[in-house]
Amino acid sequence: MLLTLAAASLLRHRARTLLAVLGVAVSAAMLLDMVMLSSGMRESFRSLLVSQNFQLRLAPKGTLPFDTEATIAGADSLLAVLALRAGVEVVSPVLGGQLHVPLADGRTVTGAALGVEPAVQGDYELVAGRHPRAPDEIVANDAMLAAIGRRMGDTVRVAAGYDAQMRSLSGERLVRITGRARFIYLAYEQRATALPIAALREMNGATATDRISLAMVRLRPGADAEAERLAIERLVPRVTVISTAEAIRQVDERLSYFRQLAVILGAVSLVVGFLLVTTLVTVSVNERIGEIAVMRAIGVRRWRVVAQIVIEAAAIMLVAAPLGLVLGLVTARYLNSILARFPGLPERIDFFLFQPSAAWTALGLLVLCGLLSGIYPSWRSASLPIATTLRQEAVG
Amino acid sequence: MLAILLLALSQSAAAQEAPAPPRTIAIDERLAADAGLRLGDRVTVSASPGAPGDSVVIAALVRRRPDPAEIARGEYRVRLHLTHLQSLIGYGDRVDRFAVATAPDSATIAGAADRINSAAFGFRAHRSSDIAIESSSTFAVVSRFHRAIGVITVVASAIFLLCIMLLKVEERRRDVAALRLMGISARTVIRSVVLEAAGIAVLGSIAGVGVGAAAGWFVNRHYQAVYRTPLLFSLITRDIVLFAIGLALVLGIVAGWLAARRLVRTPPLALFGR
Repeated sequence: MLLTLAAASLLRHRARTLLAVLGVAVSAAMLLDMVMLSSGMRESFRSLLVSQNFQLRLAPKGTLPFDTEATIAGADSLLAVLALRAGVEVVSPVLGGQLHVPLADGRTVTGAALGVEPAVQGDYELVAGRHPRAPDEIVANDAMLAAIGRRMGDTVRVAAGYDAQMRSLSGERLVRITGRARFIYLAYEQRATALPIAALREMNGATATDRISLAMVRLRPGADAEAERLAIERLVPRVTVISTAEAIRQVDERLSYFRQLAVILGAVSLVVGFLLVTTLVTVSVNERIGEIAVMRAIGVRRWRVVAQIVIEAAAIMLVAAPLGLVLGLVTARYLNSILARFPGLPERIDFFLFQPSAAWTALGLLVLCGLLSGIYPSWRSASLPIATTLRQEAVG
Repeated sequence: MLAILLLALSQSAAAQEAPAPPRTIAIDERLAADAGLRLGDRVTVSASPGAPGDSVVIAALVRRRPDPAEIARGEYRVRLHLTHLQSLIGYGDRVDRFAVATAPDSATIAGAADRINSAAFGFRAHRSSDIAIESSSTFAVVSRFHRAIGVITVVASAIFLLCIMLLKVEERRRDVAALRLMGISARTVIRSVVLEAAGIAVLGSIAGVGVGAAAGWFVNRHYQAVYRTPLLFSLITRDIVLFAIGLALVLGIVAGWLAARRLVRTPPLALFGR
């Protein structure tokens, strides 16, 4: 009975109800997007960091990995120190650099080069082929292969340095492309290659001898990452050791703008939805004051009147929520495609990551708003003096 | 020369007797605040952590320019004399780039760039505007994101406004009925309702501009403090104000007209509930 009355009341003013549902749906979509934005970015980055199961990253003192061109000197002694630690299972050293590929037409294509230990590396995933094992083997991503017009199995001349003054290449060698790779931490369109770290050091000459840009550390099961982090920093003061939690905190700090924007816009969406439904239900109740007075006069209990109005408000929210969910997912995809163009952003990072908890949070907030928005009008209607209201309505 | 260096800075424990006057440097305001440094302090700068360096005196504090490209960069900046930096980092007689001042007209700039590129060996001249576009690509992405969010917000606001205006006009049903019974023409009633709706829309949007300006002020204060930059994050321009008022006006008129038309088509006694 209650549901029937609430439905009849909403259907009486179809255009008004439709507009309210549309308005709440857009607010719900925005709310869902903002909930996704506030938690998705962090979750996406966390997944990226733990995907290769390295818990610690060592960078030159005072820097984040590959944030600057600084390198760590005395890499061999550092790796020896790490290897001796009981909690350390695997250490993956990485040297960053550039690789220049001269083309037949005189142009030179330049891309990122990572010197790695192929057996323990965690920087790329093979799409096809095999890891580079010899000093004259490399893997490259699709962007690089497309830029140089080569395929897996081809041999190319590459160089580690380019002298702008002399317009000449340095550290040249012929290498064979043994595999296609997807680089986990690099941007989608960024050209990249990987080769054995010893080979990249040789090509770069004295400046790269015994140096690395980064070391990734995988701990044994049960090892305390924070304790290991502190211990390594004490042992090797020339490096900054970053745990996954610290890296997430740093990224959070840098991208705090988006999180705060998500909170502000999410709150505004919620308030707009709340105000819209409150206004609508209030006006609807004002129009039905006489009807409500009659209901009360013939013995309908006060709580039933209140319940009917609250149901009307909640129904608008509940009907709008699925619509808003779909709309929110579509807009999130579009907004994510915009933010994916961030220069240097790893391909796998999603700003808007759908998690069921985000949808439930948005739905829960909407239903709560629906209930709250029905309270004022229902309280007002239930508190009307019956006789006076009936007289006023009858006389006009 | 602007140099971005990660420098180990450590305050000297006591004043040292130097054979020659120490070199001077300028440092970031942020570095000064974080490290507790002041003008005249003597510090040691080196090219890498722990390496022996030069003792220098802080001669100036530098405030960051409002550059969007630097918004999320946390590193400090230290400015040294060119020759000092070259010797400190073993860079020899080299520089990373030159800045060339030209007459401000675009023909001169383009001509100068072309002449340098055709004459010089091993150099490449770029226009500052091209570099600005390249270096602010992050900001361009954020700007596109804001625009997309703005469109969603405008759609939500439009629906909200339309709904409110319809309700507002429907509240006037008894007034409209009275006017019609008094013999006022439907056209006059519609005009009067539309005029009222337009007035409410304009007044509401002006109040909205005020709220927006206040919110913008808070946003600027907050993010300027968070990112320690003089950059303006929220800027309310004349075009934005005109757009907001124009949109509200159009929506108000449309909603008012739709509701008023429906009201005048309903028999007056029905509007009275009889």
